[in-house]
This record gives sequence, structure tokens and C-alpha cells, in this order.
Amino acid sequence: MARRSSSLLRPGLLIGLALLAVQFVAIVFAPWIAPFSPIEANPLDSLQPPNLVHWLGTDELGMDIFSRIVFATRVNLLIGFAAVALSLAIGVPVGVLVGYYRGLGGALVMRFFDFIQSFPVFVLGMALVAVLGQEIWSVVIVLCMLFVPMFARIVRAEVLSLRERPFIAAARCSGANDFAIMFRHILPNAMTPVIVQVSVSIGMAILLTAGLSFIGAGVRLPSPEWGLMVSSGAQQMILGIWWVALFPGLAIVFSVLSFALLSDEAQRLADTARRKEGAR
Amino acid sequence: MPIREFWRRQPRLLRILAVRLALIVPQMFGVTLVAFLLIRLLPGDPARLILGNFATDESIALYRQKLGLDKDVWTQFAIYLDNVLHGDLGTSPFTSKPIIEDLADRAPATLELILYAVIFTVGLGILIAVVSVVRRGSAFDWGARAYGFAAGAIPDFWVALLLVFFLYTVLGWAPAPFGRMDLMLAPPPRITGFLTIDALFAGDWEAFRSAAGRLILPVATITIVNAGAVTKMTHSVFSEIWDAPFVAHMRACGVPERQIIRAALRNSLPPIISVSSFILGFLLGAAVLVETIFSWGGLGQYAVQAVINSDYAALQGFVLVASAFILIVYSIADILYEIVDPRIRT
Repeated sequence: MARRSSSLLRPGLLIGLALLAVQFVAIVFAPWIAPFSPIEANPLDSLQPPNLVHWLGTDELGMDIFSRIVFATRVNLLIGFAAVALSLAIGVPVGVLVGYYRGLGGALVMRFFDFIQSFPVFVLGMALVAVLGQEIWSVVIVLCMLFVPMFARIVRAEVLSLRERPFIAAARCSGANDFAIMFRHILPNAMTPVIVQVSVSIGMAILLTAGLSFIGAGVRLPSPEWGLMVSSGAQQMILGIWWVALFPGLAIVFSVLSFALLSDEAQRLADTARRKEGAR
Repeated sequence: MPIREFWRRQPRLLRILAVRLALIVPQMFGVTLVAFLLIRLLPGDPARLILGNFATDESIALYRQKLGLDKDVWTQFAIYLDNVLHGDLGTSPFTSKPIIEDLADRAPATLELILYAVIFTVGLGILIAVVSVVRRGSAFDWGARAYGFAAGAIPDFWVALLLVFFLYTVLGWAPAPFGRMDLMLAPPPRITGFLTIDALFAGDWEAFRSAAGRLILPVATITIVNAGAVTKMTHSVFSEIWDAPFVAHMRACGVPERQIIRAALRNSLPPIISVSSFILGFLLGAAVLVETIFSWGGLGQYAVQAVINSDYAALQGFVLVASAFILIVYSIADILYEIVDPRIRT
């Protein structure tokens, strides 16, 4: 029987990993999987219901929905990963610095973050994309404005408690400078809640990107993007043409769900590790 | 210290209010600054954008002077602040009406929508959480957990489209997703701007039924998507309190289950209040998508139009009003939070 591995073989983890694997296959092999071009309009094939040629049907412009969903994985996940990676690169060091050197500067930075976070996310996003131009990178910047304060806050909270621990005093006595203490001794111990948050954030990024594109303040046609695809089917839904909006929406749900599941499992692992440490 | 002594002697409620109100002023100042800078960051010269490519340099210089663009940024901000304080947010070139009037016209539609949505979202969220804690381990509990988990992954605009498709197109149960009321009906005289309430005031049942009917799908959309977050939050707080010694004690004393639930709920109120206020603020932004789908004609749709038309003055006005609204909601929530939890010291 499974003795140690039982915590690794949880259904949530398996489903999350399986969904993630599907997405990576779609990203890497998109040109081979997709039977049609994702951006080529074909007015003669407009609004075909799902059939043997077009597995998930076609949209108003006659573009193959299945092919677009597959290629959109690249766009949506690129935006999600880029936004989270950039936010980590900025937010984590800021969090460490602000937590380590408490003081006026740190307090000001935190108030500034409070302030950004008090804006309605979606409204700020719309306004910024309108100002910066409808490019993928504008969407990434909007998401960073949301995630940088979040990561910085999480890291800061950890650093605040870690810096009082005896092993930091020990490091300081053995002559480590501030930089080494912050980034070699404190940071590795402060990363667990960040890692849990990373996965959730990618899911949030995908949802927000889709929402922005849906109202026309995100990625532009003909780029394949899930929210944009749902939006292109919104008008036809009332007329009973369901396939244009249904399938890309399902893609969003599965994608966000996979990241949420992984984050949930990461949280569970972190909790178990902490409990073990506490029992020792 | 006589001042501190004086402060201590004031009633608790007054102290809470004073602190909160004092915080609102700098926060509003900051919001105004950001709304101003957001538009200042725009690439390109506004005068050239308005006058077009064929304008001569002189006319542009003259127009810049008229707009006040020849002054430095901080003077411009002072002028903007002065205008905002006098209730002047500029004029939209697309509706050719003062932006403040445009916003005031559309605000009740959005407020009516999100107010009903918040009531249902919080109500349903708490209900699901309480039942699943009381019936721990039951099928309902599992279902509730799965729902709480999955709801966060579903895009609201997609749910709205599915509801329209199934309940309107296929089954024909729900009214059409076009606006707040049947166009054939005369809207009730405007008192509050909330169509359901105004219709009741006017005693116009037909208008009330139409307005209430039109609310069903958008409110259901928002509820389905957001109640999961409330459920999750309430579940974790309420289940902890449900295991507290005082609950076991009440049960041992033979207090009826219903009364125990009420007492436990009373103790889980503070986090529920903060999550509700967060949702109310969040919905103002999120309602943008739902409004667009149901042609709601509220603030959100106005903002979308402003984005599409590059109507930056209108967008600026919307950002300002929306942020002010959220600030007020959060402040009210903070005040309530401190009132319901006497353990917080002010």
C-alpha cells in the first residue's frame, strides 16, 4: 500500500497536473494539433456548427474554433506567465527590502500599494489599456500593477517575522552583511506562501485578460485569445448559436481550474511541512 | 495630556467615525491625483488630437492655452482639483453633456444591479456555508466545497451568456437581455432612480414586474460567480467558531440549534462584513462585463463606450467616481467592522 506517497497521489493534484500537461502540449505543438490556421478568415464557412471538419464549429468570420482555442493557449498562458514572472521579479525584492528595513520609506511604499489596490482592478485595467494601447504588453503591465503589491505584501509579512528569529542573529554575528542576510538567509525561508500564490495568480491573470479582451480593452482580433473568442460569440448566443462562445469559455474554466488546483495542493504540502516542523 | 484625555472620553462610535472621516480626505486627494495623472500620461498632444492633423501650429498653441496645457503640471492639477471640487468633471465630446450629468444619469442603474447582486451573493454564500458546516461531511458539504472552489474559475461574462442561452433562448423563461425594462412600458417617475423601487412608489405593478424580471439574469450571473468566495470565507470562519467551547456549552445546556447557529453567526460577522464590502467594491468593476451583455446602460457600459471612443475625459470621470464609491464602501465597512466587534480598541 501507499505509505508515503498517499499525499502525492491526491485526485486534485492529478487532475491539475493532467490539465496543465494538456495546456503545455497545446502550447508546444499548436501548429501540428490545429487543423486550420488560427487567424485565417474564411467567410464561406461562417458559423458552421460542430462537425467532422470543424470539430468545434466556426465563428462569424469562418475561423476554426478548435484551432483558435489551441493557439490561444499560447497567448493566454504567455500573458499569465509573463505577468507573474515580472511581478515576482519586482515584488519579491521590494517585499524583502521593505520588511527588512522597516522605516519611513517602507511605510510609504506600503501606503502606495494600499492605494493602488484600492482602485477597482477592472476599471484600472480598462483605463490603462486604453491609455497604453491594446497590446499584449499593456495587459501584462496592468496585471503587474495588481500582482506586484500582492507579492510584496506576502513576502514582507514573512520577512517581518523571520528577521527576529535566532538564526538571523547568528548570521549577523558571524559577519554576514545585510544583503547576504536578506537574500541568502531570509528569502529562501519566505518563499513558501509566494509559491502557493504564484499558481493562483496565473489563473487570475487568465481570467482578467479574458475579461479585458471581452469588452474590447485587451488583446485585439484576429489574435486568438479565449476571452476575445467568447466575446465574438456573444451576439450569436441569443440567436441560439452556442458553440462560438461555449468552447473558449470552457477552455478558460479548465485552465484557471488547473492552476487553482495546483495552488491548493501546494498549500496543502506547505501546511503538512509546517506541521512536521512544528512536531519536531 | 488634556487632548488625549478629551479623546478618550468621547463615545466609541464617535471616535471610530472621526478616524475614518479624517482618513477619507487624503485618500480622496490621492484618488484625484491618480485619475489626473492617468490622463496626463497619454501619449500625444490633446490639442492636436482634438483639432486634427490639419490644424495650424498657431491654432494649436491657442487651443493649448485655452485648455491650460501651457502651464506646468502642478498648476494643471490644481485647476483640475478645483474643478472637481466644484463638481465639474469636464464635458464628454461624444454625449456633449457634462460628464458629471452623464454619470449621475447612469449611476442608479449600476447601483440597483450591484446592490441586489450583493444581497443575493452574501445571502446565498452565508446560507451555503452555514448548512455545510452544520451538516459536516454530508453530500451537501462536499458539493458546497466543490462549488466554492470552482466558482472562482468561471468567467462571469461566460456564465451570463450561458444563462441567456438556456433561460431565454432555449427555455423562454427569462425576459430578454436588453436593458432594465421593457421598452414598451413607460418608466415610473424618477424618485430614487431604482426602477423597482420607483415602480412601487408609483404603484405601477406592470413596470415593477418588468424591472424585477430584467434583474433576474444579471443578478443570478453575479451571484453564481461571486457567492463561492463568500462561501469559502464564511465556511472557514464559521466552522472554527462552530468548534468553539461556547457552542458545545450552549448545546449541553439544551439551547435550540437555531439559536446556536445565530450566536455562532454573530461571532463570525466581522470577516463577513469585510468580504462583503470587498465584493461590493469589486462588483462595480466586474459589473462592467455583465452590464455590457445585458445592455444595462449603467456606469460600466458608459466606461466601455469611453474606452472604445477614446473619450478620456469620460473615462477619467468614471475612474474618479468609481474609486470614490469604493473608498466610501470600504470606510463604511471599516466602521461597521469596529462596531460589531467590541474587542477592537480605538
